[in-house]
Amino acid sequence: MTGLTRREVMVRAGAGAAALALPGALSACGGSDEGPTPVPGDEWRQFAGTTLNFISENTAPTSAIAANVKPFTDLTGIEIKFSQLELSALVQKVALDFASGIGSYDVIYADPYQVLAPYHAALAELTAFNEDPNLPKIQDLGDFIPTQLDAAGRFVDRERLYALPYDAPTLIWMYRKDIFEKHRGRMQDDLGFDPMPNDRSTWQQFYEISDWIRKNAKDDVPYGSGHQAKQHDSLMNDFSNVLWAYGGDYFDNGTDVGRYGSDAPGEPLLDRPESIEGAEMYRRLVSIAHPASTGWDWTGLAEAFMAGQLAMAAEWHEFAAGIESSKIAGKVGYARLPRGPKRSANMYGGTGIGINGVAPENQQKAAWLFVNWATSPETQLSNLKSEVGGGTPTRESIYELPEVKAARKPPSDMPNVLTTDAVFEAWQPENIGLRPKIAAWNECDTVIFTELSKMLAGSQSPESCMRNAKDGFESAIERAEALRKQ
Amino acid sequence: MAVTTQKAPPATEARHRRPLRQRGLSFEGKMLAPALGVLAAVSIFPFIYIIAMSLSLVGLIGGISFDWVGLDNWTRLFSDGAVWASWLRSVVFFVLTVGLEMLFGIGIALAIYETRRGRNVVTSLVLMPMFMAPVIVGLLGRFLTDSTYGLYAWALDEIGIYNGDILGNTTSAFLAVTLMDVWEWTPLVALIVLAGLTSMPRQVLEAAEMDGASYWSRLRDIVLPMISGVIIVALLIRSMDAIRYFDIITNTTNGGPADATKIVPIRLYETAFRFFDLGYAAAIGLSMLAVTIIMANLFLRILKQRGLAR
Repeated sequence: MTGLTRREVMVRAGAGAAALALPGALSACGGSDEGPTPVPGDEWRQFAGTTLNFISENTAPTSAIAANVKPFTDLTGIEIKFSQLELSALVQKVALDFASGIGSYDVIYADPYQVLAPYHAALAELTAFNEDPNLPKIQDLGDFIPTQLDAAGRFVDRERLYALPYDAPTLIWMYRKDIFEKHRGRMQDDLGFDPMPNDRSTWQQFYEISDWIRKNAKDDVPYGSGHQAKQHDSLMNDFSNVLWAYGGDYFDNGTDVGRYGSDAPGEPLLDRPESIEGAEMYRRLVSIAHPASTGWDWTGLAEAFMAGQLAMAAEWHEFAAGIESSKIAGKVGYARLPRGPKRSANMYGGTGIGINGVAPENQQKAAWLFVNWATSPETQLSNLKSEVGGGTPTRESIYELPEVKAARKPPSDMPNVLTTDAVFEAWQPENIGLRPKIAAWNECDTVIFTELSKMLAGSQSPESCMRNAKDGFESAIERAEALRKQ
Repeated sequence: MAVTTQKAPPATEARHRRPLRQRGLSFEGKMLAPALGVLAAVSIFPFIYIIAMSLSLVGLIGGISFDWVGLDNWTRLFSDGAVWASWLRSVVFFVLTVGLEMLFGIGIALAIYETRRGRNVVTSLVLMPMFMAPVIVGLLGRFLTDSTYGLYAWALDEIGIYNGDILGNTTSAFLAVTLMDVWEWTPLVALIVLAGLTSMPRQVLEAAEMDGASYWSRLRDIVLPMISGVIIVALLIRSMDAIRYFDIITNTTNGGPADATKIVPIRLYETAFRFFDLGYAAAIGLSMLAVTIIMANLFLRILKQRGLAR
């Protein structure tokens, strides 16, 4: 037998590898650009065997769905791969995926401000799927809370829908009922008003309550209040409640710019007296709050609240699920945020899920099945009961279900539902707080929270802070406009 | 079988004799060519690409697109006060981290060198921090300085040194992220210096000791001059790294509070991957590259002057 030389072994090995790789390469070349081929029959099973990639922020509803995706796979035969990331990481991955044109993610957690506004052109328009006779329709589109459908799903054009409301975290007033009740009489005597949160409560009263608790209730809790005032998106959220309450705003006609979005939001209003007054009030609030407030984002604040470091805070209502299983479970009350001279404003932080418009057509249709299922009443109810999730339903009908109504009073097996009264108040059109939905928001957000952080650090006055923020907004919008025209 | 017995001319002579156009790649050149080709593909192409980006407005929707804007991004870079402020912070951070790491690293290496018993155990313990991923160091630092449950925050409060939030105050946050870097990378300096110390001829030190030289004079006149080359290498390695410091700040302060820890790499990342202003980010990135190259050349020149590099 003739032995093979080393060169011959290398050549044959290379040929073998090429032979193995060729069928795969050929099938890739010959594959359909439209994605999986639909199988006629059951409209839910026509894409059985498909795998979809869902990229989401690491939020409660996605954790709940990831833990219980079997009903969807049983219904459709479609497998779901979940990528759960921190929001800024998600935005990067989605933007780069849009740029690559590959369509790696079929279903996208489309944050209205950081994904939908700048990249709506790369998302699939959902009305077409809903009107496709071969695809299942949305169960009662009108069941979605109208403000949320617009805020999370649309951009400028009111006829086009890019995402279905998926979650609805909203900033509300969380307070330690036990501490408030214990000191209610003394506080009322000292402060001259009932400290228990009510419709007439103001930010000035919030300040006075916080100050009173830190001076008079040290044995119960070290500080009266805390804020999510880290140089982070959380600071913009926390501040905006006070800004709007004092009559300030980011842009003229801010309600529409927040609800529907705008390509041309106009001149920023941050240097108006009302905005500066709001900034001054916010500075005062943080000045007597827990000193670690300037290092906390929403998670840090929630952890401190659960650790018994403070008596009250403005926090996302979805944290109720964690709070009600912590050492302060059953001791927390939930209310709409205080008023300012103008109104009560409660930042809405909800998001929709959309479909990657870059993905092949049939892959998009398969994704539609998931988007439809994930936002259905049955799934939202299931999320609400999930032990790993918590969910924040975006459909009105969920809150009308007898079992959900029953869970509004403690003890509750759906802790987020304990906040229902507060969030329903917060979602009223006159109370909801909607930040600007504009293409330049990522940069504008950074501008406002950076300037606020400088103000809180004492390196600039509220007036300078707001003027600098206005200048930063103008530059950011100008740059975004140049990119849009490209 | 024919055997060539003709004596080959000396390599330098042959090179001089052959006309320029006939010169081919040497054997070593041919062996290196594939690797150099790959290196060129992964470094030269991206370099040209990033230069093109810095001269363009880069769009992402519908595939990446370049819109020529000339020197706009560069003009903006040189007139952007925020970027200059980041450079200033980077310089302060650089001086503090590299300075402290060199100081502590040399000190620790000298202490270990003088240790006679348990030296291996001590060395292993000292080196531990540098085996951790920077992202883990950031998370650990955040945990330890958290004002609610952080050990360091609690200890500083109990001692009465500091009762605010360490990462929530501009000065303390800057010092905290600096010290986290120092904690992680001082062991590397110690390791390099220790290698230099152990390669010193002991006889010289023993002779000096017998002549009555004190520890400090031996250190000043013998040890430090003998390990100066190694110290410069350690300084070069740490300098190259410190200018690109990123992970720990991202995981702790993310540039805040009040931009106090927003050094150039954080601003670059923010511009590229938060604002997706990729053209401007490319300009910032290239300016960082230029600074790094200048710094590396500076160190190489020092090494050459000392005859430690060819």
